[in-house]
Amino acid sequence: MSAAIEVSNLAKVFGGLRAVDGVTLHVAPGERRALIGPNGAGKTTLFHCVTGTLLASSGQVRLFGHDVTHLPDYRRTELGMGRTFQITNVFTELSLAENLVLSIIGTDRRKWIMHQPLSAFPAIREQALAGLEAVGLADRSDQPVKLLSYGERRQLELALALNTNPKVLFLDEPCAGLSPGERARIFNMVRALPRDITVILIEHDMDVALGLADRVTVMNRGRVMAEGTPEDVQANPEVRDVYFGHA
Amino acid sequence: MNSGVLQAINGISFAALLFLLASGFTLSFGLMRVVNMAHGAYYLLGGYIGLSITRYTGSFALGVLGGGLAIIPIGYLIDRHFIRRTGENHLAQVLLTVGIAFVIGDVALKIWGGDNLKVPTPIELRGAIELPGGIIYPTYRFVLILFGILVGLSLWLIYHKTQIGAVVRAGVDDRETVSAIGINIDRLFVLVSAMASFLAGMAGVVGGAFLTLYPGAEWEILIYALVVVIFGGLGSLEGAMIGALIVGLLDAYGRWLLPEFSYFVLFGPMAILLLFRPQGIFGRES
Amino acid sequence: MGSYRIVLGLVALAAALLAPLAVGQFWMTLITQIYIYGLLALSVDLLLGHAGLYSLCHASFFAIAAYTTAILQVRHGVPTLLAAPAGILAGTLLAILYGASVRTRGVYFILITIALGYIIWGAVYRWASFTGGDNGITNVPPPSIGSVTVASQTAYYYFALAVVLLCALGYRILIRSPFGLSLRGIKASESRMRSLGYRTTKHLYVAFVISGAMASLAGVLYVYYNRFINPVAASFQISVEVSLMAIVGGSGTIIGPFLGSGIVLGLRNWVSSFFEFHAAVMGIVFIATILWAPHGIVGFFSRLHARGAKTKTAPP
Repeated sequence: MSAAIEVSNLAKVFGGLRAVDGVTLHVAPGERRALIGPNGAGKTTLFHCVTGTLLASSGQVRLFGHDVTHLPDYRRTELGMGRTFQITNVFTELSLAENLVLSIIGTDRRKWIMHQPLSAFPAIREQALAGLEAVGLADRSDQPVKLLSYGERRQLELALALNTNPKVLFLDEPCAGLSPGERARIFNMVRALPRDITVILIEHDMDVALGLADRVTVMNRGRVMAEGTPEDVQANPEVRDVYFGHA
Repeated sequence: MNSGVLQAINGISFAALLFLLASGFTLSFGLMRVVNMAHGAYYLLGGYIGLSITRYTGSFALGVLGGGLAIIPIGYLIDRHFIRRTGENHLAQVLLTVGIAFVIGDVALKIWGGDNLKVPTPIELRGAIELPGGIIYPTYRFVLILFGILVGLSLWLIYHKTQIGAVVRAGVDDRETVSAIGINIDRLFVLVSAMASFLAGMAGVVGGAFLTLYPGAEWEILIYALVVVIFGGLGSLEGAMIGALIVGLLDAYGRWLLPEFSYFVLFGPMAILLLFRPQGIFGRES
Repeated sequence: MGSYRIVLGLVALAAALLAPLAVGQFWMTLITQIYIYGLLALSVDLLLGHAGLYSLCHASFFAIAAYTTAILQVRHGVPTLLAAPAGILAGTLLAILYGASVRTRGVYFILITIALGYIIWGAVYRWASFTGGDNGITNVPPPSIGSVTVASQTAYYYFALAVVLLCALGYRILIRSPFGLSLRGIKASESRMRSLGYRTTKHLYVAFVISGAMASLAGVLYVYYNRFINPVAASFQISVEVSLMAIVGGSGTIIGPFLGSGIVLGLRNWVSSFFEFHAAVMGIVFIATILWAPHGIVGFFSRLHARGAKTKTAPP
């Protein structure tokens, strides 16, 4: 059974900086993997290279055995990758419902329909409302996103990723900047996701990361420095050093 | 064979003129992220002012200088009070500066009228000289090439070899960081803007001496400058030099070989370049 | 749609239908022109207000379509039934070619469309043996199908109005369709759209071609209305003006470009009667709009309405 995500010796170089320096990773289908590490470790850059937002300088990325290393981001989404961004990237000028609709039809041929208004497809709207309901935003469905608070936008960000019908979900700091209540909500949402979706998440909040993860990968300076179960990683002296030991 | 060489020299002298206009335009964008479509109007206005100064004082040099200097305060006012309000909204900048160009154009029309006017050149620059190979070439246009080289070299030296140039280069590269390390980025903008205005105004006088000045000239020269910048890449001084050469030569050969399609000869290669490298030769990917 | 908008729309429609009975020749021809340029402005706004692309070469499609139809009718006696579609096709083919420009974004796209626009202008201006150069092509006959000829000013007014209304209806469906929403998504955040699975460049390309086809239709309407065509129709100034019309009227709406067309043409008409420097006046309108009314007339009234009443943002 091939890994959901297989990263082989991936590197990303910016000028003189090796942001990702030979990372190898295997994530099993259905697994919950947390990617942790100090700021600047290369976690988000790794995400970018795996999801296609950036192209890797070298190395390989495989999605369920399929080599996607050189495919553009939209193609990888078609093949089943979904992601949230670290810096919230939602459609602020559009309404919440419209945001969800775009997510829903993104991998659907119906996005090319020009001769019928959206209102002719009530099922899409229902799906959009259901998607908003799942993140508790259904009552604001027709309001423009720019009226939403930061926390609410983060929730919408997650809803967008969930509604692309992903097989592998990449969450980049889904809880960043949220209140404890909002954090709990996201935590529960991710925990409740079905196991036919593989989840890889970057998180700084240790409770969230270690609470959700089956396995943890620790990155530092563009490389993997440790990997194992949450308990293994927490007990690892090098990891403790990187996180708690130094000034 | 001679004709081919002649066209090459024509192209190079036109390139010298285009470089004067395009260099300011491209650096304005590189540093300030401003697309200033009034650059052509600066050329025209500077040209007319230089023309009047030359007529009044009898000195071509004063006209060239005066035409350039006159545009500096105008350019400054437009930057500070109009363009600045558009932030980095490029469409707004285009529409705003086109509007400003319309106003300047009509003001110029009112003051100098609609006839083709030629900036009088000094006796020394009239007539022709003999170049190696027996080619007889108008002195003025030849001197223009030398002038262009002089300006180009000076700009290049300032840009690459002086501290102020280094700061400008840093600003083109990363405006936020330059600002963050305490350099007064505003003053830098004023400096570059002044230089761009000066060059544009000067170009008008220099160009007006052989291309003549007339309503509409501001748009004709602007489109050439835009193609230079498209070829060379926005924000690149070297790009302006190479782009100007390419455009000058293509224009000269196009007019000579295919007069009805000279615009195709110019824009065709540009379009093809854009298909493969939209940011131009020296530009950075947007 | 709010009921006041329906009422407003019906009133406007009634006014449009009854106008020729109430106003004289002069106004009727002006309003016909407003419809035609409004359609051109609408085509630009599909890209500007919805896809976020600022094209300044639309005069090219407009002119190519007009020239094609003119040349076919005048020099080759081709009947309207063939000449008109041929014109639209010619302009659309140009858009298919020029659509390659959507590989660029932002300021590069603007500059490239400016240059592309100049190619066509240069061609129609300098290839005088074919296009008539400065003089253009004159004596274009009125459109006729079989024995029916749209000859009088009044008849052409209704003809143009009918075409414009049909277009506006089609446009309305287009912008409310999933494809239309995808364009607005690209304008709002192209990176997000890509990560949601959209081939954004392809969407933009299709929008560009549709927009070019609309501009071509406006060009055919124009040449039959004017009975002649010259290089001015392909000029950069026209491309810029119609962008301004879309903005002044209210970008992103259907009525906006037409309102803008009315304002710009009306203003020019009024001003040129007492002041010869109407380029300067146009320039001042540009400047004033950009600085003080970037959302246009429709935007201005929308804000007024939003402030005055409790709003539930209606779905588009």
